[in-house]
Amino acid sequence: MPAPGVSARRLMYLVAGLPLGIAWFSLLVTLWSLTAGFVVTPFVIALFYANGAVTFGIAHVESALVRGLLGVDAGPPRWPARRQGWVGALLGPLMVEGFWRMQAYAWLRALLGYALGVLTLTLIASGLGLVAAPAYAGAVPGGLEFGVYTAHDFVEALPAVPVGCLVLAVTVLLAEPMTRPFSHMSTRLLADPRGDRPAEAAAGAREPFAAHRGRGLAWHAFASAMLVVVLMLVWALAGGGYVWPVWVALPLGAALAIHWWVRLMADRPELWRDRGLTRGLAIHGGVTVIVCLYLIGIWGAAGAGSFWPAWAILGLAIPVALHAGAVALGSADNRRLSERIDVLETTRAGAVDAEDERLRTIERDLHDGAQARLVALGMSLGMAEQKLAEAEPDAAQELLAEARAGAQEALRELRDLARGIHPPVLTDRGLEAAVRSLADLSPLRVSVSADVGGERPPAAIESAMYFVAAEALANAAKHAHAEHVDVRLRRDGTRLRLDVIDDGVGGADPAGGGLSGLLRRVQALDGELRVTSPRGGPTIVHAELPCG
Amino acid sequence: MRVVIAEDLALLRDGLERLLRDNGFDVVAAVGDGETLVAEVLERRPDIAVVDIRLPPGFRDEGLRAALRAREQVPGTAILIVSQYVEHEYAAELLADRSGGVGYLLKDRIMHVGEFVDAVRRVAEGGTALDPEVVAQLFARRREDAPLERLTPREREVLGLMAEGRSNAGIADALVLTVGAVEKHVQSILGKLDLAQSPTDHRRVLAVLAYLQG
Repeated sequence: MPAPGVSARRLMYLVAGLPLGIAWFSLLVTLWSLTAGFVVTPFVIALFYANGAVTFGIAHVESALVRGLLGVDAGPPRWPARRQGWVGALLGPLMVEGFWRMQAYAWLRALLGYALGVLTLTLIASGLGLVAAPAYAGAVPGGLEFGVYTAHDFVEALPAVPVGCLVLAVTVLLAEPMTRPFSHMSTRLLADPRGDRPAEAAAGAREPFAAHRGRGLAWHAFASAMLVVVLMLVWALAGGGYVWPVWVALPLGAALAIHWWVRLMADRPELWRDRGLTRGLAIHGGVTVIVCLYLIGIWGAAGAGSFWPAWAILGLAIPVALHAGAVALGSADNRRLSERIDVLETTRAGAVDAEDERLRTIERDLHDGAQARLVALGMSLGMAEQKLAEAEPDAAQELLAEARAGAQEALRELRDLARGIHPPVLTDRGLEAAVRSLADLSPLRVSVSADVGGERPPAAIESAMYFVAAEALANAAKHAHAEHVDVRLRRDGTRLRLDVIDDGVGGADPAGGGLSGLLRRVQALDGELRVTSPRGGPTIVHAELPCG
Repeated sequence: MRVVIAEDLALLRDGLERLLRDNGFDVVAAVGDGETLVAEVLERRPDIAVVDIRLPPGFRDEGLRAALRAREQVPGTAILIVSQYVEHEYAAELLADRSGGVGYLLKDRIMHVGEFVDAVRRVAEGGTALDPEVVAQLFARRREDAPLERLTPREREVLGLMAEGRSNAGIADALVLTVGAVEKHVQSILGKLDLAQSPTDHRRVLAVLAYLQG
């Protein structure tokens, strides 16, 4: 047994055959009768075109239904290229191959589709009626009659329930064989006759209607207009009088307006997004307005009189108001969320950039530092070797001493670099000890007051805080000409706070090199970094990060 | 032999200058960036420019670009690029203009002073000196190549040394063979790879490299 959703959609397709069958049948019969009647007049050419447009419109609707409900992607029907020459111009759509295929599908749907729609609806209705029989058996005067059996109350009607279930089960099982002719024929008749289905057809399989973007509306308008023109012709030829085509024009106009509105909301989301609406609400509101105008149109066409559409308009307005209320309540949350997403996107990109920059710096430091020292060391050793071979031991000894000094320098630079990447003391002893060790290494007089008792903050937080302190201390020594630096580190509840205050000349640029990289890193951790540095000092670097 | 050195790290610039002087080269200029290199080559017309690939201001391949620019203006100037990393793409760019000696060596090679000095001399005389690392990269690229598979291991060694730019005598030294034996290997390799005999070592290297770069 197929999945419930699949069967439900198949049944929907079948039931839709009932109204659509009637609609297609009346449209086609009308068009062909008119064509037969006007065959010797020039009007017949307009009828050919009307027929083509209507057929194409039917194919459009059917192909969307087949794709959406039966899961068969026949590809979008396309208006095939017109035949050249005067015959082609006169006969128009009738001369192209695709027309007759679409026409065939329309007739299939009108006749077989209608019959199967009636059958399906009957089966579903009787199944549901049987299942629900106990609920209303008592209310039927003289009891519910099931052929040979009459049920007068709840208990007597109970046997109908399993029968109803059986009927419904059979209906579900029949859904597949009953829709099979349509899914088979749709690929043969509705598909683009040229066979080269563009990539957009595949996209259309995922998003129904996407493949028809733009053109469907034009065809809809064209078909409606043609139909109205033909009816007006008939009306004029029949001697005028009461303008009955208005009863066709009104629903056609309303349907077209709804189509246009839905299309517009899909194509230009900024129209509703900028006003804080949702697509659903925009469509709901617009369609309601169109329906109200339609009712007013009917009221006018029926000769005005007492304004009965008022009640319907009221009834339609209430759901729109409720919908709008629900959207308004939801959008405050949405706005908060989208602001948060903006912040996260920016800070994440910043963190990635900062990390990239840091790696480049490390590579540069390695290249210009330890690597270069080792090359120089190798050169000295190589030259010393040469000197020994040439029996110049004094020169060789000098070169060897240089080489040893070089090796020591290389080691020192590697050590510094390692500390710059991640100081071992931070891992081993935690933030407080690492900051104290920074203070010890600084050439300035640094006093540290630290209180970060309790559980250790996450490693990323500790590390970011450490590097803020390191950068601030380095800047104080390099640029601020400071003598004394005060480092205060403390935990307030769930916030870790750091202040580095120097007595230097101030005027530090907060956007400058090292600090801007750190700012991005701190922001990515939902923290804050502020630098105040008036000319003449003091410079205060304040950092806050969440911990635990 | 007149040399211009371009190297931004003073430590290495001084080291190179001293090393080359000690070995009988005339270091006519030692500069720290590409622009000055071009100017010095124009003015002093050295036999060879020894250039660090990575120079200010961008610290990417400014050295290579400046050297090629200098050679455009003074054709025939030999170029020896030294670098802390090698990339066979750079070697291809260097070899592309074929106007005079080229070399591309890891800075590590400078430690083997004798070999390094040989390489500088070879390049200055119009020859080639490619780092074994570059050659290894080229070999790795062509691992699925059928003709290379047909070479014996010894022949592959000889091919590698040919690609580095060594002469038959140099190859014989490196592999502890007689020059005659090397000549036989070279004949066999050229035959298997369908390469023409070349009158000079430099042309031979170019042919081998062209083959390896496919």
